[in-house]
Amino acid sequence: MANNDSGYIKKVLPSKIGKIGLILFIIGAVTGLYGYIFDPSRAVFSYLTSFWFLLSIAVGSLLLVAIEYAASATWSTPFRRMSEFLASSIPLLIILVIPLLLSIQYLFVWSHTDVVANDHMLQAKSVFLNTPFFSVRVIVILLIWSLFYYLIIRNSRQQDNSGDQALTKNNIKLSIIFIPLFAISLTLQSIDWIMSLETKWFSTMFGVYLFAGATCSALAALAFISVLLKEKGYFHPKITKDHFYSLGTLMFVFICFWGYIAFSQYMLIWYGNLPEETFWFMQRWEGGWKFVSLFIIFGHFIVPFATLLSHPSKTNLKKLKFISIWILAMHFIDLYWLIMPSMHGNGLHYSFSWMDISFLAASVGIIIFMFNKMFERYNLIPVKDPKLQRGLDFHL
Amino acid sequence: MARSNNLHSVAAIFDTPNKIIKAAEKVRDEGYNKFDVNTPYPLHGMDKAMGLSSSKVGFVTLFCGLFGGSFILLFMWWTLAKNYQLFIGGKPFFALPAFIPITFEITVLIGAVSTFIALIAVFFKLPFNNHPLHDTDYMKTVSVDKYGIYITTEDPKFDKEKIISLFKSLGAVSTDLIYLPKQEKFSMFNLKFVLFLIFVAAGTSGSTYLLLNKLMYITPFDWMEFQEKYTPQETSLFFGDRRSMRTPVDGTVAKGFIPYPYKGIANPTEVLSNPTIPTEDLLKMGKKKYLTFCSPCHGNFAEGDSRLNGQFPNGPTLHSDKIIKYSDGMLYHIITNGQNAMPAYDLQITRHERWAIVDYIRVLQRAKNAKNSDLVEIKKESTTNGQ
Amino acid sequence: MSLDYSKDMVQFTKEPKLVELDNLISKPMDTNPSRKYFIALAFTSSLMFLGFLCIGYTFYFGIGAWGNNQTIAWGFGITNFVFWVGIAHAGTLISAILYLLRQRWRNAIARFAEAMTIFAVICAGLFPIIHTGRPWLAGYLIPYPNSMNLWPNFISPLDWDVFAVSTYFTVSLLFWYLGLVPDFAILRDRAKDRIKKLIYTFFSLGWRHSNRHWRDYEKAYMVFAGLATPLVLSVHTVVSFDFAAAILPGWHSTIFPPYFVAGAIFSGFAMVVTALVVMRKVFDMENIITLNHLEKMNKIILLTGSMVGYAYLMEAFISWYSGVPTEQYVAVNRAFGNYAWAYWTTVSCNVFFPQFFWFKKVRRSIPLMFIVVLLVNVGMWFERYVIIVSSLHRDFLPSSWTYFTPSVIDFGILIGSFGLFFTLVLIFTRTMPVIAMSEIKGIVEGAQPSHDGGAH
Repeated sequence: MANNDSGYIKKVLPSKIGKIGLILFIIGAVTGLYGYIFDPSRAVFSYLTSFWFLLSIAVGSLLLVAIEYAASATWSTPFRRMSEFLASSIPLLIILVIPLLLSIQYLFVWSHTDVVANDHMLQAKSVFLNTPFFSVRVIVILLIWSLFYYLIIRNSRQQDNSGDQALTKNNIKLSIIFIPLFAISLTLQSIDWIMSLETKWFSTMFGVYLFAGATCSALAALAFISVLLKEKGYFHPKITKDHFYSLGTLMFVFICFWGYIAFSQYMLIWYGNLPEETFWFMQRWEGGWKFVSLFIIFGHFIVPFATLLSHPSKTNLKKLKFISIWILAMHFIDLYWLIMPSMHGNGLHYSFSWMDISFLAASVGIIIFMFNKMFERYNLIPVKDPKLQRGLDFHL
Repeated sequence: MARSNNLHSVAAIFDTPNKIIKAAEKVRDEGYNKFDVNTPYPLHGMDKAMGLSSSKVGFVTLFCGLFGGSFILLFMWWTLAKNYQLFIGGKPFFALPAFIPITFEITVLIGAVSTFIALIAVFFKLPFNNHPLHDTDYMKTVSVDKYGIYITTEDPKFDKEKIISLFKSLGAVSTDLIYLPKQEKFSMFNLKFVLFLIFVAAGTSGSTYLLLNKLMYITPFDWMEFQEKYTPQETSLFFGDRRSMRTPVDGTVAKGFIPYPYKGIANPTEVLSNPTIPTEDLLKMGKKKYLTFCSPCHGNFAEGDSRLNGQFPNGPTLHSDKIIKYSDGMLYHIITNGQNAMPAYDLQITRHERWAIVDYIRVLQRAKNAKNSDLVEIKKESTTNGQ
Repeated sequence: MSLDYSKDMVQFTKEPKLVELDNLISKPMDTNPSRKYFIALAFTSSLMFLGFLCIGYTFYFGIGAWGNNQTIAWGFGITNFVFWVGIAHAGTLISAILYLLRQRWRNAIARFAEAMTIFAVICAGLFPIIHTGRPWLAGYLIPYPNSMNLWPNFISPLDWDVFAVSTYFTVSLLFWYLGLVPDFAILRDRAKDRIKKLIYTFFSLGWRHSNRHWRDYEKAYMVFAGLATPLVLSVHTVVSFDFAAAILPGWHSTIFPPYFVAGAIFSGFAMVVTALVVMRKVFDMENIITLNHLEKMNKIILLTGSMVGYAYLMEAFISWYSGVPTEQYVAVNRAFGNYAWAYWTTVSCNVFFPQFFWFKKVRRSIPLMFIVVLLVNVGMWFERYVIIVSSLHRDFLPSSWTYFTPSVIDFGILIGSFGLFFTLVLIFTRTMPVIAMSEIKGIVEGAQPSHDGGAH
């Protein structure tokens, strides 16, 4: 499989990586299943959080691939395969969503017909928020994502063998179609799964907020893996600090974007001070949630901002590795903060549960397992991509 | 520029970027340090070739920006939460989310302005229009399309002949000798300079004075503020007594005024009869007015239990036989005219409201002096209402 | 679609010579303007003076001279303000964001776009000041320790505007001037005329093209780009806060900040394309500002136009989803009420017509692209008009419901602002290099040393 044109030599990861992934997944799945039998309503909320963690990394990675094609970016070409590998769990989402769809009554107030019958506002929304339509929407969107994943990644892989430039052109077209579809579909998914948990709350910015979070986490995952592979010598030797500088800058930009979106959303609702909007933030300011909110401001914005601000820190691989894993953790906490306080809608009171950890372990296991599998099977670098040489030669 | 015979530097011109990079590397390696390269645009890799460290401009921005941001945040806290507290839009005095936009803007502003000033004045040491290089053929060539290098006489290793041969060996298109401009003597106390200083001082102080004391108080168009009408208590030039507020003609009656015939009579022989029908709304109003005007002295239930704790003569109870026997008109008369220590209330309470109070007093009297027969009535009512 | 990346370079018909570049770019400054130029200048400056007359009348008569009324207190004044601030954004985007993204095609258009930024901010800044009714009191907007102990209301989004717009103007001006300094030095060394030389000497500050200076210069340019990028986003964000921080249905929407920023870039790029299409023709700069540049800008117009479309969609959907009757009413009333004509003009100009840019032929055809960008300019003006007027005209009290009819003075000032803008642009093209000479020289082929393998 080695291709000498680009100077890339294929290596195989140590076999324990795949095993670690599998073990994490099995431990997480088994304990999670036990939790589901034991306390289904609590387990479903934990499951939703981890499901979104997986979803945002996978779909965010596919978006990065699409942007790479659409913008004809060159420096990121050597990195593209890693995003493709990270996106490989998109088709799995269709299976993973089934438990959620089956236990919809634990999540959403609007799925209870007796509650809806007594609530005028829920009745008004029931045209959109009803179980059949909801399930159809979710499945259709996941199918669309999987379709685009399949098409784009197939072309990319075929090119490794054929070197056909027309495949890149096809992918550019596919990416341009995918990006607007992604914008609308991610917005719908975020409204469906997270905003409608608190059925009476609304914010036009919400889709953009999750888009920012998903892109941040996909970039962080990409940065973490690429730094790790670079350090262990699996990555292409021509990848220099300038590449990592660009990656770090992109991460920095999206962290700023996330901060901007989060601040604007909060500020406008705080300033408007309308009870139909503020209650959502009030819930996240009660009790211990106050500290989580404050921690997110610092952890999701100020810490990465300060770390990535200076030029040298973006090329410092150790710092980059630390901050990317930090951002991934913060993205999980952010999702946790979005989802968990809404539990009271079903008469539940929030309390920390070990299930949160087990489902997280399962989703991390899936990512590691899938990455390892893809790594074994395909080249880490798109060896015959027409942009590859320019990408490898990239200097500031 | 007139030139003296003192040499400033030896310069050479090269025609390709590769050659100049090589030349710079060579000059650096030879151990010269007072040299510089002039190129029409920044060349990649030249900093490395010349052995320059990376620029420190970024630190100026960082520190000045942070200073500006924290200063304005403190300033807003001081003005709105400390110096002059105003309650605005239900927000706290120190409304942090609302201060963030301005903090950000000022961070950027101070950061950018200080970077610019530091760049020009400290890093570049500009303006410097009589630098020896100006107006030379060398300068005119390097500003278009050639690349130049020069070594100044300040360099400890400076040797004219050696440098020229070094440049030639590197492939210079031409070499140049640059002479210092003739020294012009400049005295601090010459008339022109002193006049200039005075002019600047006068200009600055004058314009500041004008701006802060005059310009900010100018009202170019004030016809909306000062309209052709009299304001209260204003002097009139038209009337003989110079007053713009005129006394009404004798016998003038205010709009809606109805005279009260028994005004000022202590014990009138006849009084008005009650024109009102005690509806629920009227009694509610009467209660409200009673509680406002009457209850401080007569008590909430007219039992003469004043809230004034003896600071003012206690009003009598209104449940005495004497007062129960008063006609409605008499009660109205007392409210309107006052009695003993009680002042007249005709200026505070309108006619209609006074009658409403009278009706409410009747309600209180009836309620406080209930009889057994009333219970029968109530029972009858509750059974008909089905309760 | 092409994978030929050499098109990023400046294209010359023959071997590029740096002297030729200098000659071409400084030609408008070295030659006497043609008759056409004076006709154009006379036309734009008379529009400008018309505007100034109307502004003078407004100062004398008061805001009552406009169509504004108690219900619609923000009419043309704020519409024009937001419109011009939006136009300004493209310049900073091109000069700062594309610089950070290392999009080298920006060099050819950056200077012109930055100049447009500054002129557009001047036009924009005019409106809030005249809208105060008594602009001679505008000094109180600046926090200065006066005898009344009266401070500006820092909690008000309108006050944030004062800071945002003035910071934006200052930083853009410094950024622009920083880029101009080396060019002034080039002009200084070219100048034959004594007075010209004096002026250029003054503005070039004695720049010597020294590499010890270039080092700090490049870093500072980077820093400025890094500061200007968040700044440009913040400015339109603050403008959007003017609306979104209020609780008026139709204004109070959390998506406003990114939506306004996207709209600003959209309208700004449309305006830059409009002006460039004319300018490259008039000054024979078709080799420097090529069709490739225009095509890239058209792609960005398509992208940002679609973002604006997304925001329209979200606003309409969430207003239904919210279940708040007033929100729903405003959304329906916008699309089918009194201002339906304006709303559908907006939607068609901003979302529908830019979709033609999906086709390469349209993107690369000068007349077609010109029509589309003009429509975008119109559409973006109407977008602000719809946001302001249609949200305000149905008050909470039906007795206050009214319809906005602009007065002649309103139109006079609007036309005058265009006159001011284009007068400044015309003067700029004759007094300063419209293309950054030192930047463009640095990217022609063979301008950089080849020692690192020609990786650039």
